[in-house]
Amino acid sequence: MSFATDSPVHSSSSDDFAALIDAELEVGSSGSSPDEQDNEEEEVDADSDDDDSDDEEDDSNDDLNDHRNKRCKTEKLDDLEGPQGSTSQGLIEEKLEVSLNKDTCTHPGSFGQMCILCGQRVDDESGVTFGYIHKGLRLGNDEIVRLRSTDMKNLLRHKKLYLVLDLDHTLLNSTQLNHLTAEEEYLKGQSDSMQDVSKGSLFMLEFMHMMTKLRPFVRTFLKEASEMFEMYIYTMGDRPYALEMAKLLDPKKEYFNGRVISRDDGTQKHQKGLDVVLGQDSAVVILDDTENAWTKHKDNLILMERYHFFASSCRQFGFDCRSLSQLKSDESEPDGALASILKILRQIHHIFFDELDSDLASRDVRQVLKTVRKEVLKDCKIVFSRVFPTKFQPENHLLWKMAEQLGATCSTETDSSVTHVVSMDAGTEKSRWAVKENKFLVHPRWIEAANFFWLKQPEEKFPVSQTKNQ
Amino acid sequence: MFFHIVLERNMQLHPRHFGRNLRENLVSKLMKDVEGTCSGRHGFVVAITGIENVGKGLIRDGTGFVTFPVKYQCVVFRPFKGEILEAAVTMVNKMGFFAETGPVQIFVSNHLIPDDMEFQSGDMPNYTTSDGSVKIQKDSEVRLKIIGTRVDATEIFCIGTIKDDFLGVINDPTTA
Repeated sequence: MSFATDSPVHSSSSDDFAALIDAELEVGSSGSSPDEQDNEEEEVDADSDDDDSDDEEDDSNDDLNDHRNKRCKTEKLDDLEGPQGSTSQGLIEEKLEVSLNKDTCTHPGSFGQMCILCGQRVDDESGVTFGYIHKGLRLGNDEIVRLRSTDMKNLLRHKKLYLVLDLDHTLLNSTQLNHLTAEEEYLKGQSDSMQDVSKGSLFMLEFMHMMTKLRPFVRTFLKEASEMFEMYIYTMGDRPYALEMAKLLDPKKEYFNGRVISRDDGTQKHQKGLDVVLGQDSAVVILDDTENAWTKHKDNLILMERYHFFASSCRQFGFDCRSLSQLKSDESEPDGALASILKILRQIHHIFFDELDSDLASRDVRQVLKTVRKEVLKDCKIVFSRVFPTKFQPENHLLWKMAEQLGATCSTETDSSVTHVVSMDAGTEKSRWAVKENKFLVHPRWIEAANFFWLKQPEEKFPVSQTKNQ
Repeated sequence: MFFHIVLERNMQLHPRHFGRNLRENLVSKLMKDVEGTCSGRHGFVVAITGIENVGKGLIRDGTGFVTFPVKYQCVVFRPFKGEILEAAVTMVNKMGFFAETGPVQIFVSNHLIPDDMEFQSGDMPNYTTSDGSVKIQKDSEVRLKIIGTRVDATEIFCIGTIKDDFLGVINDPTTA
């Protein structure tokens, strides 16, 4: 093959070249889109390529002309190319049969718009893109189902479940450098070195103009959770941010290993969905601070208490208090939100694998979550006082529902079986009754705290104050 | 497959490059423009090896730029359907694995991995035979067959298979 030598001025055309290759190789590679040819090379078009009157070459030149003239026809021709793709016309009928057989390929997915099974071009836009795994990868729904079920078996054999983790306010807190208040300037001097990321917890990412604080306990959390779960990151941040944060959390790439999903990869705007997670819904636990992002998967969700380290993050959510950074303090490492959630995760894992006696494949982690949640306020009977607006159906109120999900019984009337009175005001009739009858009188935040920590909180931490106008 | 071919390109040169170094400037600009690019027809331009000839420059009206038709020899790389290639594995997951040869990205789906190789998750995901004698993981080198190619402006995508005789791992990074 000496293309360089036989391409003097008059026949150095690009068509010539490709024709020669195709003929020479006897390989049907014109499927790789001659219609995308370089414009500049097209200028130098061929008119003197018939020196070689070899049959094969003529035919392949025909092919090429067809490509140029009619695009619709090119596709057909491409299909006709069998794996050997010899270009002589006598074989075309045979090839038709081959292509018929090939069309039975179900095209389970595509990579760079080619079927991953037969290598044919597919322009079908169905299925789900998995851009976070590799650019240009797309899988059909049947293939996803198949992968999920094989993966599920594999995972259960290793006694693992899936855990989907949110980044911001769940595992860490980030702020733009220019949003730092004057009181927080001291943090710039305290940030940890980027050389050994695995030790620090406060990082200044100057190239992204950001400062990031990891939530206390997060390293231990990831290490222990990775033994029970296959973990994903799923964030509403953009891709570069998500990858950067994954580097901070997982410098050795032992936990996430390419399972980092950002908002660019989701299928719906402003929503997170499990459709891009290659795990069966019945085995996924989600940790997130935003319930609304997971409208379709509320049953999988463990709601996290938001972690606000920076003042800008407090402001963003409308809190008027001083942030942890301004107070120069932080969440407690051994009793913080992550530590208590880790205990819950352990419990869920234990129940799923060791306590349920149904068939492993039919177990559902969502049921386990429900049962565990119901244990939190078991044996509590709650009466609400001045919590709901008058004329509001108490059964529909968020707190009422929350209390019931946590296993408490709710009632509208006081009687001797009541254990807790939840009130905004110590002066109401029911509150006074509680004090008199020696029942617990607690603030509504007691229920919210129990909901976040999955643990009954000490009642004395949530006292009810007398309102002034009483 | 690699080819050594002659290509032609019209180069526009800014007047500031004129002078006795004109030819050198032209060549270095050509290298910058062309090396590492793809065309659907020729594949990936690996390197320019020589200049065949530089045609007469044409001054563009109104700009002062001059257009030179340049013929140059270059090495191009283009994968073909049916070609056997050796590639380095870059990523292994439950869908299959991704491999690279130079600029070419190849995906081998788990449908096209022999049935006796099973996916093992973990911090070093891999495909392993049941007796553990053959293992495909990141940085393994595999010999594979191309069954589909697609070339766009900057990248070449391929679909490959190792479900055929004499295909599969050719070295094992764990023992190397």
